[in-house]
Parts: sequence; C-alpha cells; structure tokens
Amino acid sequence: MTLSAEERRYAEEKLGRRLRLGEAALLEATWSEHCSYKSTRRLLALLPREAPWVILGPGRDAGVVELFPDVALAARIESHNHPSAVDPYNGAATGVGGIVRDVLSVGATPVMLIDSLFLGPPADGLSRWQARLIVRGIGDYGNRIGVPTAGGSTWFSEAYRGQPLVNVAALGLVAPGDVLPGRVEPGDVMVLAGNTTGRDGLLGSSFASKPLGEDDSGAAIQVGNPFLEKLLIDALREAYERKLLRHVKDLGGGGLAVAVSETAAASGVGAIVHLDRIHLREPDMSPVEILVSESQERMLLVPRRGRLGELLELLDSHGVEASVIGYFVEEPRLRFLYRGEAVAELPVDLVVSPPEPRRDWVPPPEAPPLPPLDYPDPVRFLSTLLGSPRVASKEAVYEAYDWGVGGRAVAAPGYMDAAVQWLRDSTRRGYAAAVAGNPRYTRLDPWRGAALALEEAYRRVLAVGAEPLAFLDNINSGNPEKPEQHGYTVRMLEGLAWAARELDIPVIGGNVSLYNEDTDGHMVDPVATVLVVGRVRDVTRALPAAYRGRGPLLLVGAETQEELGGSEAASLLMGDVAAGAPPQPRPWAEKRLRRLMERVVSEGLAFSAKSVGLGGVLAAVAKMALRGGHGIHVLLDRVCRCGAFAAAYSETPGRLLLEVREDAVDYVAGLAEELGLSAAVIATPASKDTLSVKYGDTLSRVSLEVLSESYTRALDWLREP
Amino acid sequence: MPRVAVVKFPGTNCEEETALALRTHSGVEAKIVWHLDYRWRDWDAAVIPGGFSYGDYGRAGLIASWSPAVGELREAADNNVPILGVCNGFQILVEAGLLPGALLPNAGGRFVARWVHVRVHNPRGPWLLKAREGDVYSMPVAHAEGRYHVDDVSSVTADRPWIEYLENPNGSIASIAGVASADGAVLGMMPHPERAVWPWQPPPGHGTGGKMLFESIGLALKRGW
Repeated sequence: MTLSAEERRYAEEKLGRRLRLGEAALLEATWSEHCSYKSTRRLLALLPREAPWVILGPGRDAGVVELFPDVALAARIESHNHPSAVDPYNGAATGVGGIVRDVLSVGATPVMLIDSLFLGPPADGLSRWQARLIVRGIGDYGNRIGVPTAGGSTWFSEAYRGQPLVNVAALGLVAPGDVLPGRVEPGDVMVLAGNTTGRDGLLGSSFASKPLGEDDSGAAIQVGNPFLEKLLIDALREAYERKLLRHVKDLGGGGLAVAVSETAAASGVGAIVHLDRIHLREPDMSPVEILVSESQERMLLVPRRGRLGELLELLDSHGVEASVIGYFVEEPRLRFLYRGEAVAELPVDLVVSPPEPRRDWVPPPEAPPLPPLDYPDPVRFLSTLLGSPRVASKEAVYEAYDWGVGGRAVAAPGYMDAAVQWLRDSTRRGYAAAVAGNPRYTRLDPWRGAALALEEAYRRVLAVGAEPLAFLDNINSGNPEKPEQHGYTVRMLEGLAWAARELDIPVIGGNVSLYNEDTDGHMVDPVATVLVVGRVRDVTRALPAAYRGRGPLLLVGAETQEELGGSEAASLLMGDVAAGAPPQPRPWAEKRLRRLMERVVSEGLAFSAKSVGLGGVLAAVAKMALRGGHGIHVLLDRVCRCGAFAAAYSETPGRLLLEVREDAVDYVAGLAEELGLSAAVIATPASKDTLSVKYGDTLSRVSLEVLSESYTRALDWLREP
Repeated sequence: MPRVAVVKFPGTNCEEETALALRTHSGVEAKIVWHLDYRWRDWDAAVIPGGFSYGDYGRAGLIASWSPAVGELREAADNNVPILGVCNGFQILVEAGLLPGALLPNAGGRFVARWVHVRVHNPRGPWLLKAREGDVYSMPVAHAEGRYHVDDVSSVTADRPWIEYLENPNGSIASIAGVASADGAVLGMMPHPERAVWPWQPPPGHGTGGKMLFESIGLALKRGW
C-alpha cells in the first residue's frame, strides 16, 4: 500500500474516525503520485499557461488550443513506463488506449498518435525483446483503432536496460464551441460505458508510484482490447454529433474512484455511486476491487438532461455495454455504495487534496568535463555516427504503424522533421507536431537538457514551416523521496519553465512519471519529453527534410560553437559514455528562426528544411541527402571557426538547414542577418551518389550507398519476429 | 448522380477518407452505410474500405464475411454491380469467396506500412477504366495479413485484371497486390488508393496513383464500361 502511515493519520484526524477499507483504497488511488502530482504540483505551477489561443490548459484530460477560428486541436501526453517494463506488449498497448480516451474526453476526434521510446541497448537480448514487443503493442493497438501513429522518437541506452520508458501522446480535432466544459450539475446521471470491470490493473496507479521490484504482481497490469476501443470511439463521435453528452471522463489511473472524484471536485458537487450496478467480468469481485479496478476501455459518460435513453440506445447499437451507476448531488461528499452499504463515504475536498509531502532535493552533480579526445576525420566517422541506433533511420519502427489511416498524412514519417497532417476539409490547412527529449543531456544537466528538449521540438515544428502554438511535457524521473534523485525533477521543470517563458509558448498539459528506479535504487536517465504542436496554413507548402538537389543548403540560426559536451559524436568516441556540459540553450535564436521561417514559407523560398540536432550539421546534411537520394558537397569550413570535427558534429541549438532557391540565397541570408542570425551556404548539389566534404585543403568523399547501409540497416533487428 | 455505398463493419476505419475520395475524385454521391443497413439494390456500386472488421478475430475478414451484408454483396456481384474491396475489404471479399485465393500473414511476420509502386495488368471493368496495360501507380500499403496466395497462379494472372507490386512488401505469390473478377466488376486490392489522391499525400518519388481508380469508377458509372 502506498497510503503512508502519515497520510492515513492525516485522513483519520480530518474525519475524526478510522478509515474503512474502501476509503483507504480510494485515497490510495486518488492520493497516488500518478493521480495527484503531490510531489510536483508546486513545480508544475512554474510553467507558463496563459495565451489567448489556449482553450483548455493543464488539468483536464487533454489540453486544447485554437488552431483556426473554426478548428481546435486537443493534445495530451502520458507515460506508461512501469507497465511497459513488466509487460512490454500490453503496457505499451494500453498506454495508447488511455491517451486516445483522454483526447476523446474533451469532445475531440483522435487523429494522431506520437510515441517516445527510451529503450535498453540493442546488444542486450532482453532489451531487444522488450523493444520489439513495445513497438508491436503500440502498432497492434493504434492500427486497430484507426488512429495513425505519425511521429515519435526512439532512444537507446544502457540506462534503460530492463527498464524502458514509454511516453505516448495523442492529438484530436474539435470545433472550439464543442469542447466539453468539464462541469456537471447535481442530478446529472453517470453512465459507465465500455469494457467490463475486472481484476486487471488493480491500483495500477499506485503501482506506478513506487519503484519497480517492490511488488511486480501481474494483477497491476492491464490488458487492452483495441476492437472495443474502436467501438467506443465511433459511439462517442456519434454521441458528440448528436449533442447527447455534457461530460466525459476516461477511467485511467485509479479507475472509477479517480474519475468520479475528479469530476465531482471540478464541479464542486458530490456523488452517489452504486458499485453493484456495474457490469463485471468476474462476478465475485469485492466492492473495493470494483472501486479501484483499472480495466481498460471504460469511460464515465454524463448525458445532457433528458438524453439518457437516447445515449443508452446509441451505445447499444454500437455494441458498447453500459451501466447507469449513479448521479451527482449537491452535498460535496462521495458515497460509494454496494447493495446499499457504504463502501466509502468521504468529503470531496479530502479525496482530492492529499497532504503535501515534504520533498527535499539537492542540486544534481555538475557534469564531468569532456576529456581530451582524439578526433577522427569527420567523414570517416560519419558511417559510425549514422549507424548509431539513436541517429539511425527509425523506419523499422514506424513502418509497423499505420501512419496513413484517416488519409490526413502529409508525406510519410521520415520525410519531414515533424508529423504534418491535413485537416481533410475543403481547405489546405493542417497542423504539425514534433517530440524531443535527450536523456544524455538531462542526465548531465537536467536544467539545460529540459530547455533544449523544448527548443528542439519547437525547432522541428518550425522546420516543416509550421507555427508553434503550445507544448506538453512528460517528465520521467526518479524517486521523489530521495533528495539526490528529486533534484533532477526540480531542475528539469525549472529549465523547462525558463525556456517556455523565453520562447513565449504556453503549456497545455503534461505528465510526471516518478519512481523510475531499478530494484537496486538506481535511477534511469531522467528525461523531459516535450511535444510541440503547431499550425500549418497550407500543407502544400510544408517542407520535407529530403534534399531535392535543386539549390544550395543554407545554415541559418545561432552561430555554431564548439559544443561537443553531451554530444552524440563525443559519446560514441568514448564508448557510449556521457560527459561534458550539454550546449547552452538559445531560445532567442529559435524565436528569430520562427520569424525567418514565416517569410521563407509564405514567399516560397525553400525546397526542403531540416532542424540541426543530434549528430550536428553533418548528420543533418547526410540524412537530407539520403532521404532525397541526391548527392551533396559540404563546405565544412563555412560552418564555424572551429576544428573540422566540431564543425561537423557540434550540437549547438538554434540552427536550421534550408535548401534555398539559387536566386534567393542572398535574399534569405539577408533576412536572417537582419534578424540577428548567422547564415552561410554550407553545401551545394553534387553528382548523384556521393557526399563529399571540403575542409581547408582536404577533400573527402563517401558514397551515399555506404552511408545508407549504416543508416538504414542499424535497426533491422527490430523487424525480426 | 450515381450513388456509391461505403460499407462499414464494426472496426472498419478507412470509411471517411474513402467516401471523400469518391465524392471529390469520382464525382458521385458516396454514403457510409452500416453493414446491417446495406441493400444492394439501393446503390450503383459498393466499396468495402480498410480497417480491422471485428478486430480481425480469427482471421482478417473472417467474421465480417458471415455478415448479411456479404449476402447482399454476392447478389450485387451476380448482377454486375461494381464492388471494390481495399485492404480489409479485399480480405472480406476473399473470405466470402467473391474473389479467389487467400490472404496470409505477411512473410515478415509484421504489420508493414509504406509507399509502393504497383503495375496494372489486363485492365478491364469499371475500376480500371482509365488504366492501360502495364501502367505503374504509387500508393501506400498498410497491413499485417496481405500475403496473397493462390494454388494456380495462372488462373489469376492469365486473363483476369490483376495488380502487381514492383517492390513486394509481404511475400505475395507472383507479387500479386490485387485481383479482380474476370469482367473486372469486382476488384480487391491490398494497397490503399484513397490515401494517394491528394497532391500533398505522396512523398518525393511517388505520386497520386489512387486517383486513377476513383476517376475510373466515376466515369464508368456515368458512361458505362
């Protein structure tokens, strides 16, 4: 039980009596870290939330921003780390199911899934097995519900051996006036729709709120049923169209207990729930098990007045089971009854306000300095870098996902720096989303690392020609009860808050996953996964990250510095060791790039574009050339006044590569310079099948075929059954 | 205006983009019709779109092939009504015996989603009206059970209209991506034409190959075939 002795004492003092068994279970669910954010609530308040285009900020099942006056975009991100470590297939699959229901809950139609995976080293058999099952779990679930998985990120490191992280995000579309306001009134009826309630996932939320290994019981794992989820999606979309619903809430962590408590608290009302009215999978379940079961594919529906009958008929016609289980009342008390007997009877404010635990933290240690390294010839090193599982093509991952269902996909994954979709209406409008998070950076310097993650996701959205509107974050960190681990959580959130204010971008939701430590108490590499969503005014102008061979490549943005600390190249040279301070964040440069890109896109000045990130300029150029199938000649000494290796692989943020129309090079460079950004032509088209690099008097050359072999084959093992 | 039914089973998930492609590229009235409500006499043609009907329980397309809608489709086929099955729709037509062969789990053992090129052979009938022998089209595939098998390959390739993968993604025999009835009125195919109709859908190196099918049926329903 994670309800601590102090918490129990606190509750019993407030009540003036002992807790019933059902009440302890209820509080264990609602007071769990997973549901209450009790350790991070104050820190999350640091993130900027306000912007005129924000329709729903953090706190609801999903955030919503206005995309265009007639269309809003809903989004949510969440981790499913603990379940995916114990049962990779079902853990990842149910993560997808839950995030889709979150987006559905605000009245939106789910249209895109994105996932960020942090996996163990490919050399390790167990990690390979986990990786394959996680990919298969996401694919089997997402594909079957007809929601395309259109983007993501995949990281591999020793730090995730046996303990992978799975962060999933979903996007949805809704008319601004149809966003459900999240309020119910006394007298409103509650319908529990969807799956039967069973013993799976009992108190999974509190399982996720302690370290692994303490209790890896299978009972805490949920099993997904994507076919039923698909029926739920179709039924709810019809119910929304017919305006039958006043409020909808996903049954996620903490099951019915949390869904009812949060709904009542948000509306300042109480509730009476008859647990014996719920359709069960196992008829011999105890009332307490029913209360906290986390069986998947269940939603709490509150119909508008007088529409209950119609709602039940509609659910039935879609083959979705439903039970009328209770109603909301004026008195702010929660009463869960079983055959008339009280299983739990508590005031709402107590249920949703856990005592704030004392969380001490110490600043994480400074990054160890980058040792002197013997830098090889950058061109010879390029195959090694492109073959690194972190840099290599992720085609083996995304081709297992149905990224094209719905017909909204613009291009396909891998062709663009962000996932771009079309609204599928009579216009060419669309939206974009990109996710970023570099655990090596956040391990070395959590403040910078988190700021850089936001910068990178923001920059990727810029690269396709979209306008960033909002972000969501998923903090994955250690045990908040250990000050040396909690320090990483604190510093990541501080860094994120700083960067968000500098970039002037609001947060509309997020998730915090703590207790990511192994059985020996070692924390995994903490990481801030950041999702940025943006507006695309015309999808026909969205820029691919594939070199078209039509013009020179212009490097624009912050001036490149020798910043190899925490870089992919330096880490590979040291044998996968992380050292050195990560690059200095440069949100000012990203903001200026935004203004530059507005001009470049609206005036049609570029053929392709790519954000410079992991692996620096040379990795970005090589990927563009490989994707486009066009040879390229790189003028490495134009990148910076530093050594060849740093010019190639430094990870200075705030930089974009633009393939610019020959006749517009000076014009674009001029625009960049006016904005206070550097600009230099660093590559030109070359004969079809080579990448050549000139630095000073040396000229090296490598065939695209050789590079492609490293880049596209590195993750072939994921395709094995 | 000709009327085309897009037949939806529980778990079907490509019905909206299919109906949109029919409306905009075929110039027909297209409606999504719940499988229990489908009556073949009410429609000039039918499309069974992709998805996971009944969650692909048993085998892809198996349970849907027992639906009363399939009885209606059989009668429609007997009466020369054009029928197109895409992906899961193809699987249903094969399970129902409306088209020969079987669709087995991919040779790679995994779901595979990627753009491919396909070539049309023996074009005939309403769905391939605008295609010529050997024409190549681009469109994406996305399936886990698309490995076509038939004992006698020549029974499919000799005289029927059929579609061939240029890059076989699933181990299909003779790289068969799609098969039609002898007269071409009933066509089943694994690739998704409805995802290759708008200029912003294909990545560099590919085109809007699906338009040919939608333009063909539009023309066929207006002028005959």
